[in-house]
Amino acid sequence: MARYFAIFLTFARACLVRDMTFRANFILECLTSLGWMSMNLAFYLLVFTFTSEIGKGTGWSKEPFFAFVATGLIINSVVQAFFMPSAEELTEMVRTGGLDAVLVQPLDAQFLLSMHRVDFSALANGAVGVGLLAWAMSRMDSTPPAVAWLLYPLLLLCGVAILYGLVIMLAAATILMGRNQSLYDFWFYLTNFSRYPAEIYSGPWGGPLRMICTFVIPILLVVNVPARVIAQPFTGESWVGVACAVIAAVVALVVSRLVFQRALARYRSASS
Amino acid sequence: MHNTDPAAFAPVAEPVIRVAGLAKEYRVFDKPEGLAASVRALFHRTSRVVEAVKGVDLTVGRGEFVALLGPNGAGKTTLLKLLSGIITPTRGTASVLGHVPWERADDFRRRFALVMGQRNQLWWDLPAAESFRLHQEIYRIDPARFEKTRDELVDLLGVRKLILQPVRELSLGERMKLELVAALLHEPEVLFLDEPTIGLDVVAQHTIHEFLRDVQRRRWMTVVLTTHYMKDVAALCERVVVITRGDILYDGSLAEIVDRFTTHKIVTLDFDEAPDHSMIERFGFPCEFRGPQVVLRIDRSRIADVLPGILGSAGVRDVSVEDVPLEEIVAELFRSDARAAAVAEASR
Amino acid sequence: MSGSLEAVRPAGPLQGLRTWWTMLKICLEERLVYRGDFALGTLMRFLPIVTQVFLWTAVFGATSRGDIAGYTRNDIVAYYLLTMLTRAFSSMPGLASGIARSVRDGSVKKFLIQPVDYVSFLLAARVAHKLVYYAVAAIPFALVFFLCRSYFPPVPDATTIAAFLLSLALSFLLGFFMEVTLGMLGFWFMEVSSIVFGYMLVQYLLSGHMFPIDLLKGTPTGIAGVSLADVVHWLPFEYTAYFSSAVWLGKVKGAQLVSSLAIEAGWVVVMAVACRVAWWRGTRRYSAFGG
Repeated sequence: MARYFAIFLTFARACLVRDMTFRANFILECLTSLGWMSMNLAFYLLVFTFTSEIGKGTGWSKEPFFAFVATGLIINSVVQAFFMPSAEELTEMVRTGGLDAVLVQPLDAQFLLSMHRVDFSALANGAVGVGLLAWAMSRMDSTPPAVAWLLYPLLLLCGVAILYGLVIMLAAATILMGRNQSLYDFWFYLTNFSRYPAEIYSGPWGGPLRMICTFVIPILLVVNVPARVIAQPFTGESWVGVACAVIAAVVALVVSRLVFQRALARYRSASS
Repeated sequence: MHNTDPAAFAPVAEPVIRVAGLAKEYRVFDKPEGLAASVRALFHRTSRVVEAVKGVDLTVGRGEFVALLGPNGAGKTTLLKLLSGIITPTRGTASVLGHVPWERADDFRRRFALVMGQRNQLWWDLPAAESFRLHQEIYRIDPARFEKTRDELVDLLGVRKLILQPVRELSLGERMKLELVAALLHEPEVLFLDEPTIGLDVVAQHTIHEFLRDVQRRRWMTVVLTTHYMKDVAALCERVVVITRGDILYDGSLAEIVDRFTTHKIVTLDFDEAPDHSMIERFGFPCEFRGPQVVLRIDRSRIADVLPGILGSAGVRDVSVEDVPLEEIVAELFRSDARAAAVAEASR
Repeated sequence: MSGSLEAVRPAGPLQGLRTWWTMLKICLEERLVYRGDFALGTLMRFLPIVTQVFLWTAVFGATSRGDIAGYTRNDIVAYYLLTMLTRAFSSMPGLASGIARSVRDGSVKKFLIQPVDYVSFLLAARVAHKLVYYAVAAIPFALVFFLCRSYFPPVPDATTIAAFLLSLALSFLLGFFMEVTLGMLGFWFMEVSSIVFGYMLVQYLLSGHMFPIDLLKGTPTGIAGVSLADVVHWLPFEYTAYFSSAVWLGKVKGAQLVSSLAIEAGWVVVMAVACRVAWWRGTRRYSAFGG
């Protein structure tokens, strides 16, 4: 609804004004995330001096792999910028009773609690991701068909949606438990599995892990599907991945909303 | 101003708030003390059930200004949270403006407001003016009406200069005033206030009292206020609901509390010089000697008989007959209730 | 647990022991309050290694070599597990920022007045903290290492074990003094956090946290015959994670082992002196400003 968008813009604008006021801090935060990212890129470059491919016959040679990394950067930076800041503040809101104030307003609580804060410095990684993607694509031998380019943004959105669903589930857990279970740690451990192409999970342990991370908690669909569509040959089979990603996105959004509503219904509220 | 006629409290208009048998229980886990207990707590945690609100009945009519008075932990804030839909009850029903609060319908939420003392509802990083604009969007207030209401409220509380500063830079009193403005922007029919004057200085308290009285009267709002300060109650409400340990102890007018719960009045005698103790003590009432002043507690039923005799004592220069202060009555109410609870607990 | 005790007396050994025992108990109780965190948290910290193992398996699978820079696939898994252990000794979370903060808010003043040495106090607090951590983490660690024992080469000989333990002790001291010196920079700079961040970044890359430093043997530096690994060898960073792990795995032997231990010890001395000097000059500057 237009009203929700207008409200979101007010929040975003306020955050932007604040970031520009504390400009030095903002730049430092950008540099921080860029710093960690470049260390990881250096590591990948080092690995590729010893091998030409990640996983035998998987097709993840240097340029496709960096396209994969770029896709991950873009999706994760969107989630880190728009949803994580609010979710992290939730523990504090539960503790101080700020959540009470939200529940009393005639506005969807999930919207308010997941989007009232924007961290613009997190978009720095996304910008680098776009650049990295351009570099990788320009150096690849084959170019993907037009349909792949059309599907790519849609699949990026699906990836964001799946991660958003996970953020909401963790937020619901925070509301129910009230205590300070560090959302950030949990998030890191969970998304850590999706840092590399799913093909690396093979073998007696890897196979089941891959299944779980694809069909139970579909984090492997987040980056793999769009990256594969654009960096690997596009075949009829690719449509299966696309379908899976779209279904997972819808399911993630619906299920997480239901869980969140249940959590709100059972909210205890801090004692006065 | 105080009407002691009980019929005056039969709701004239339709009852805006109707509560029947409302109860809220919590399961609380016991905190382990010491190392051994901490280890044991890993495997098995003991818990007990706390009844914050125990089957309460209440009816509030439109335009009433009701105080929920009680000591800390009495359940008054829990009751308010139930009525504003923040938490769901264990048992019982409630209806506010025709809605079930904990269903959190948007139509319902648009018609009431909640202000909690010392807890912030304005967005911390935004200046108040931005918070107000956000409010306008969220509550869908007509722009022209919004501006008029905002200007009116801001001027009434004298906070016009403050609305462009980020909220976190303001003092508690200033923030409270801005919270009140924000709460009333959408012209709610019902206003819930949770300890609004807590932590404020006397001047701020007074300003807010005046403001609330004025606004409530003009808009015919129904106001429910929780507090443990008698000052709030005396300044604002005709009707008091006394709550202790989740139960309503008393529901009626302030004046009636005096009638119902005290048996004596306080008589203060000023003498030219410190009187002879035995001269006063022979009347047989508890008395306190403070130099040339004597304070007696005389049964109400016997005042008319006894007073002339006392006044006849030599050297009486001035006399005042007063009710027992409300604070004392209420404090005694709480104490005796706690004592009764302890007795019941011990006899179990 | 922050490093501030209200009444600190220069103590005899028995009193010191009792204080430590109380600190230990309090630390443990604090840990146990977070029931969920207790064992689960420590186990969870091994999760990222799972991903790394799969990654390296895929890397090895794609090449035809048996080893990379002297590490087989199993070696690499063992290496990552060992760095979890070595970093448990050398990482000092919050130490630098804690010192900077106490300089900023003035709580460092009581150490200027009282006859307690700030650095020794911090060291004692850290040792207590670490002991609690080891006590709590020992079982999860043992469990993981036991389950993964097939990745490890046979237990090394007594000399290697001795060298390993020595390097662990030195890495604890090295990590400690490096962070304390960093924190002391708070006497000169308002925003130490940017400096600490830079340190963390370099540590991340060069300590061996991400990969064995041996992998840098093939990276040229522009100087003939000198690889990046050789340069890093002289810097203190690799001794906080890489070195001890490499010693256990038998990747550093004989004369090189001795010289590396010497370099590590040398850095410990350098940093210990550095933080002493920083304390001395910093407090002089601090008092000059009236705190």
